[in-house]
Amino acid sequence: MSSPLAMPVIAASIWALLGLILLRARARSYGSRVLYAAPKGDPAAGVRYAFTGAMAPDAKESVREHLPSYLLGLLYHGGIFAALALLVTTLGDSAWPSLLRGPLQILLGFGALAGLGLLGKRLWLRELRGLSHPDDFVANGLATAFVGLALTGPTDAWLLSALLLLVYVPLGKLRHCVFFFMARGHLGAFFGRRGVFPTEGHHGR
Amino acid sequence: MADDLEQKLAALGDEDYARGLAAFRAGLKEAEVSFLNACVRCGLCADSCHYHRAEPELENVPARKLDHITAVFKGHFTAIGKLAPGLVGAKRMDRDMARAWVDAVFGRCSLCGRCSINCTIGIPMPALFRAARRALGVMGLVPADLQASVDNSLRHGNNMAIARDEWVETVAWIEEELQAETGDPEARIPLDQQGARCLFTVNPREAKFFPLSLQASAKVFWAAGEDWTLASDAGWDLTNYALFTCEDDQAAAIVKHLTEAMNRLGCQVLVIGECGHGYQSARWMGPEWLKQAFPFPVVSILELMDGYLETGRIQVDPAKNPQPVTLHDPCNLVRHGGIVEPQRRVLRRSVQNLVEMAPHGIENYCCGGGGGQLAMGRYRNRRLKAGRMKAEQIRATGAKVVAAPCHNCIDQLGELNKEYQLKVQIKTVAELVAAALLTKPIEVQS
Repeated sequence: MSSPLAMPVIAASIWALLGLILLRARARSYGSRVLYAAPKGDPAAGVRYAFTGAMAPDAKESVREHLPSYLLGLLYHGGIFAALALLVTTLGDSAWPSLLRGPLQILLGFGALAGLGLLGKRLWLRELRGLSHPDDFVANGLATAFVGLALTGPTDAWLLSALLLLVYVPLGKLRHCVFFFMARGHLGAFFGRRGVFPTEGHHGR
Repeated sequence: MADDLEQKLAALGDEDYARGLAAFRAGLKEAEVSFLNACVRCGLCADSCHYHRAEPELENVPARKLDHITAVFKGHFTAIGKLAPGLVGAKRMDRDMARAWVDAVFGRCSLCGRCSINCTIGIPMPALFRAARRALGVMGLVPADLQASVDNSLRHGNNMAIARDEWVETVAWIEEELQAETGDPEARIPLDQQGARCLFTVNPREAKFFPLSLQASAKVFWAAGEDWTLASDAGWDLTNYALFTCEDDQAAAIVKHLTEAMNRLGCQVLVIGECGHGYQSARWMGPEWLKQAFPFPVVSILELMDGYLETGRIQVDPAKNPQPVTLHDPCNLVRHGGIVEPQRRVLRRSVQNLVEMAPHGIENYCCGGGGGQLAMGRYRNRRLKAGRMKAEQIRATGAKVVAAPCHNCIDQLGELNKEYQLKVQIKTVAELVAAALLTKPIEVQS
């Protein structure tokens, strides 16, 4: 990769990685809770369910009632991961197999549109706007630009967007790329231990 | 009441804020810190909250309530929150934030946890609201009427300050009623029976206002030939309102009444009567508060009745409960307690027509009375409005009877019954089982 931005992007990647590791270590430094109540269910089964069935529209009213947002979220995250994969291969001077280039472009295109859609939703809905901080708009703007500019190929503009995004990762809400997994794991263990997760079809609607 | 809060807020000084923050910090472990870092403010949790369903406004969105807590966490305990508070919404704890915390975690939340399972990320918000309530407690901002219930338990051994003599007399009177109902002069409600297998605990509201509920449980025990007892001293009351004030030392002192009664009477199984928060307090939180595993199992009377029916130890005739019945799922018992199916199996056997609400089970709506809401007069109007979802659910079933295995829920449902003109009867599960019992040998044979 010959762009003068390549090394700064690599440095930003290291910054992001170290920042996330530090944040995780900081969270862990608070210590874990010793539990004494006899478990009723299996915490590990609860964790497995939390990352699978519990996230499905079937199990979540908030998804069932907001399917467009759910789909936009899926597409957006798909686009972000695709752009990240593209960044890794670009920095490594390797190319995607021609067979995958088409689907990649489609994923990036839908991802960028989904990001814009979610940004528009945040701006449009009064309640969601009231809930938002500048962090929400910065994070969405950076990630959407990163996905959208990926469509243009390995340009300096795209690499600049990657650099800014990676620098921002540990600073704002993008840290949820780590804390999502930690939080959901704890949720699953909590409900698994109490025999609530995995559910046995007793939602009923 | 609001003026009372304002007076307390006005009296707060820097030391109070510091003590509150220290208590908040002490209540955080890795899990809670993960949750505080994880919210993306997508807002999809909004309609999972019965407060928001009833009154769709920003302050009723669970993520907004959480944001008040997160703001202080960021402002005091994170680098980015100190460096760029405006960017990430970090704030310092001050009078306005304390007011916002009180309003969010006491005034607009019943700790039902419905938002937890609907959160995009998976944040169990009650865990964080509890940490906030604990901090507010240290700052002297727990609503006085809620704290009074805790103080009663600590001083009198039960949350309604019922004197021992009054309790013993009430039990004796209910025992006479039981004997008259069963026609068995040997039918007993044992008190302080040493070595009984089960120590049964009840909500003091049963002694004060719902004696038929205690009588029904006693009738089921009688029919099952259970070896059981009540305690006459501290240890008969299953309630623990410190679950809602979140002051763990006080919660530990209250749950100790139960463990000491178990030791004193030499019982093997602690049986929790029909009460959601009582079950969560004794079964799940009690060992954590006392920092020790209990050497005895803690079970709900629903599980016991399920077992009696499963093994044929009692038999019922559902024709004795011909009216359509629906079942309310108390949040502390179901979503936070893991008791989902026993009550359903019991009712399927004991009533002719069980109509489930939509949704039900762990997706149930809170009735609005949980989280100490019933004890906080300041928020009565909000509580009744927030109960609208439950009222609509009940109405949609067409049921004439609501089975509610929780006395706090029963109180709230009773108020909803009047407020929303539901025209239903509200009963405990034991009352329905007791009504359906086949107690005579001839009936059993047939």
